[in-house]
Amino acid sequence: MKSRMYLVIVAAILASTLLGACGPATPTEPAAQPTAAPTTAPGTAPEGEAPEYIEIGSSIPLTGKYGALGAMVKPGYEYAVADINAAGGIYVEEYGVQIPVRLTLYDDESDPTKTVSRMESLFSENDVVAYLGGAGSDMHAAAAPIAEKNKVPYLGIAFALYSIHQQGYQYLFSPFPKSPDQARDVFEALNTIPEDQRPSKVAVFQEKTDWGIELWDLWQQYADEYGYEIVVHEEYAPRSEDFSAMILKAKDAGAEVLLSVPNPPDGLAIQKQMAELGWTPKFSLMIRAPENVSWTETLGATGDYAAIFAGWHHGETFPGVAELNAAYEAEFGRPADLLTGPAYACVQILADAIERAGTLDRDAIRDAIAATDMTTVVGPVTFNADGTGNVLNPMSQWVNGQLELVWPEDQATAPLAYPALPFDER
Amino acid sequence: MTGKRVLAAGLLVVIIAVLVALPLFVKKESNINLAIMVGLYVSLASSWNILGGYTGQTSLGHAAFFGLGTLVTRLLWLSTGLPLPLSILAGALVAVIFSLIIGAPAFKLRGAYFAIGTLALGQVLYVIVGDRWPMITSLPAAQLATYSILSRYYVFLAFTVLTIAVAYLLVNSRFGLGMMAVREEEDAAESLGVSALRHKLLALGVSSFLAGLVGGAFAFYHVGYYPQLPFGPLWSFDAVTIAFIGGTGTIIGPIIGGVFFVLLRELLAVKLVEIHLTVFGTLFVLVVLFLPGGLVEAWSKTRDALARRFRKQQGRPLPQEAG
Repeated sequence: MKSRMYLVIVAAILASTLLGACGPATPTEPAAQPTAAPTTAPGTAPEGEAPEYIEIGSSIPLTGKYGALGAMVKPGYEYAVADINAAGGIYVEEYGVQIPVRLTLYDDESDPTKTVSRMESLFSENDVVAYLGGAGSDMHAAAAPIAEKNKVPYLGIAFALYSIHQQGYQYLFSPFPKSPDQARDVFEALNTIPEDQRPSKVAVFQEKTDWGIELWDLWQQYADEYGYEIVVHEEYAPRSEDFSAMILKAKDAGAEVLLSVPNPPDGLAIQKQMAELGWTPKFSLMIRAPENVSWTETLGATGDYAAIFAGWHHGETFPGVAELNAAYEAEFGRPADLLTGPAYACVQILADAIERAGTLDRDAIRDAIAATDMTTVVGPVTFNADGTGNVLNPMSQWVNGQLELVWPEDQATAPLAYPALPFDER
Repeated sequence: MTGKRVLAAGLLVVIIAVLVALPLFVKKESNINLAIMVGLYVSLASSWNILGGYTGQTSLGHAAFFGLGTLVTRLLWLSTGLPLPLSILAGALVAVIFSLIIGAPAFKLRGAYFAIGTLALGQVLYVIVGDRWPMITSLPAAQLATYSILSRYYVFLAFTVLTIAVAYLLVNSRFGLGMMAVREEEDAAESLGVSALRHKLLALGVSSFLAGLVGGAFAFYHVGYYPQLPFGPLWSFDAVTIAFIGGTGTIIGPIIGGVFFVLLRELLAVKLVEIHLTVFGTLFVLVVLFLPGGLVEAWSKTRDALARRFRKQQGRPLPQEAG
């Protein structure tokens, strides 16, 4: 009886392996058919006849610590590819036809080692002409060198770490705000407050991570430039539990502004402990922690007034945003998420670059991306020599349990809520 | 040498020759990369098996030794310009020194307490390294321009062969017998004059040296990661899982487990994107539940079951029934 059980188990393992081998190859197949006879897959050199698809691929964290971010990125790519294919695909002059796009998505489980494997698979197995990035700085730090090594253009969002762009990579492009934008723009936003009400004393709670260190260096520089005084600078390790000492220091120093970049658990703890210790900064920027709706669900009114730089907001008024929101609303019951717009824009930029390149040659596409000058759902986009994008860096803020776009004023869905109401009066 | 041993040695030489020649007929870099992953996990699990499988010390802190290998190698190789082989060797030696320093007090713990203690140790290093080295370590553009996956493949192949060979020689030596005696019954082994602590420390030292070497290879291979990454508990869990899946306390177990683990995981990840982790997890729960001796046991059970069925169909008595 027992030996029969072992046979069943071994058979089940083998069967599942075989099932896996016969399973669906890609989650996003193009709806449209090619307009020319399909022959070869796209590579680096034209073969004369149009390929069946323009292959693009992405390794995204759909599970693991960045799973929530990947879940926002994935629909952006998929909607954009669907829209392009619904219009017949991308016109490639070299072949004189429109060719539909096939997007292959893999889950890297938020593990950069798996990112490397998936990226190599996309290159070797799918012969992609371009990569779309995942989410999280370390995922991009692992992915970008692979793109560089394989000489495949790479468009990535959902990371603000500037240092990745300082490695001399030629194939990395990111139409997403970076640390220097965030460090500068917070003071730009504060300077919209009438001078007689404007705060001047700043506390920085610096996370001991690369992004935290990068922002601290930049905040010192821009505070000086914009006339603000940093009165408290405290470092903490990620996943700390007790922030009371640094909160009390900021309170004692009379700090009016809090600048920080906490992860969600740390951000929640800081906000709760600020309420408990009775320190309400007139303005607080937390960049990362309040990105998710769980912020307001957990904190309620205590979470109000916290501001973030998320890279995008569904309230922006650029062409295509309304349509994207409508499609997202129909599927998910809410407007497009914060990273969905930038992900959509990546595909728009790539499609535009392929069309301008007029070929599926990767180097030509890379050069065309570098020369991008177009308006997407995240607004106007151009690129610097280091691959960083010149893009809008909108500031959002929790107001009455809603994440409102508050800066720049010409895009705002609500005015900047300032000064923050003391925690005990909310 | 018996005929069986000659056959086994010949087979081994052929397998190694095939692996050395693999890049000649496998051109896709993704497949070479997959082979690297197999080598990485086989080495990691085999090195853990020396301590966990043969000496009976279920360590959950193996990532600490792997991580130290990566950290020291990467720092020396990229920051000071020390030649790679010396950097890797230094990483492995630091892992050994660290393991011996913590080994003596750690071995005062037994069973689950030892497992939890080593897990905590790994986590302490994970936090310290994250705090001390928060910046991503990326291969410089100049290194990247000359990056060759083949050289990485051969480094992993060499370390995999070395790890398996060392494990084989060790467990077939007098020390190996002592290690297994400690695993079976520590007090009884002590009463027979086998120093349990000495054998445990030896197993730990060898295990950590090999894990450190693999860590060095990882530092050479990976293009960009946080220095904290290789200290993550998942590396320990994966090594333990692979050894158990293949069969602990056997040389072949971690090899089969590693190949199975990596290939199945990659296959599922590519083919069943949305649900691959669920399927993968379920399969491994089933294996652990129903095949406590791992795939090595599954193979022998399957072979026995088939033999019994065949004999039954032939109307021949089973060996035990033939008495």
